[in-house]
Amino acid sequence: MRRAFLAGCLILGVATAGAPLAAAPSMVGKEAPDFVLRGLDGRNLRLSEYRGQVVLVNFWARWAGDSRREMSALDRINTTYQRAGLVVIGVSVDEDLRRAQEYAVAMRVSYPILFDTGSEIGKDYFLQKMPMTILVDRAGVVRYSIVGFKRGDERIFLDQIRELLRE
Amino acid sequence: MNLKARVVSIMVYGVLSSGWMAPGVWAADAAAAAAAAPATPPAAAPQPATPQPAAAAPDAPPAELKTLDQEVQGLKKDVIDLNKDLFVLQEELLFPANTQVALYISMDVGTFFALDSVTVKIDNKEVKNYLYTAREADALLKGGVQQIYLGNLKVGKHELVAFFTGKGPVERAYKRGATINFDKGVGAKYLELKITDRVPKHQPEFMIKDWE
Repeated sequence: MRRAFLAGCLILGVATAGAPLAAAPSMVGKEAPDFVLRGLDGRNLRLSEYRGQVVLVNFWARWAGDSRREMSALDRINTTYQRAGLVVIGVSVDEDLRRAQEYAVAMRVSYPILFDTGSEIGKDYFLQKMPMTILVDRAGVVRYSIVGFKRGDERIFLDQIRELLRE
Repeated sequence: MNLKARVVSIMVYGVLSSGWMAPGVWAADAAAAAAAAPATPPAAAPQPATPQPAAAAPDAPPAELKTLDQEVQGLKKDVIDLNKDLFVLQEELLFPANTQVALYISMDVGTFFALDSVTVKIDNKEVKNYLYTAREADALLKGGVQQIYLGNLKVGKHELVAFFTGKGPVERAYKRGATINFDKGVGAKYLELKITDRVPKHQPEFMIKDWE
């Protein structure tokens, strides 16, 4: 009986050794869930209205240290590539709307900033860490998802954006 | 028959019925047939009189491809038909006509009001909160009618309250409500939120129309 139990454990161990660990769910390859949010200027923006253009959506939060650097980088990208058909949208997931608005005003970025105070969009996009950026192609499919922001990531963004704009 | 023999017979049957041999032919029959067969070499076995496939080769592929293409097209059409049926069935199941309540919104003129959002409450419970983009508001101004809500309600008396927010005359923030008490009968119920301009007062007007 003991031998059989040990053999069973061995088989189970061998069988599960090659199985991959449960990966964090990602939106890459899936259709970007639509959302409509109010912007800093009071206008509402709907993601699906930008179908046909390459859209970069940057989810950020005031308390995420990398958000500030990433927003500055995205601002530079936006000013360069918006004429080529790129749309950059910033989405604040901060619960404190007033402070998020103050932060966005202070950042003075050239692209629209939207505010999400609910939790629906976070669930739809599997937001786990901030900041998180997704790139949506002209067909509305999420092609890239980048969590966090570090030095040199701007170049990766540019490569991906150029690739999508060429399609 | 002991247990071992039974297990072996079950295994043999499993192998036979899984396509290794023609189903229904038992191992014993197969062995007997093999023994009774003449011991002729394989080369001397009579060739089947069927025509060679190579003879029809030049014409066969296009015809086959054509048939395959037709089959694919037929399958695609079937999938589309099935999808349509499934959608209708889903609508009928989720929103059966006897409990269905549909709410539409329309806008006429819109000089005194720029729509931003609509919140709908039925029996004091929020059922819809919709933010309008500039493009959607434009579509309403051009005569579009939007189905803003579709749901189910029991037969009886109900109250619907709609809150409209936006910019009123002189670009002022504007929030107004409209209420309707209605009787939900056995059939489907259709209601319409109407935003119109009240020209003499230079104010927008919000109404809820009950389509009998």
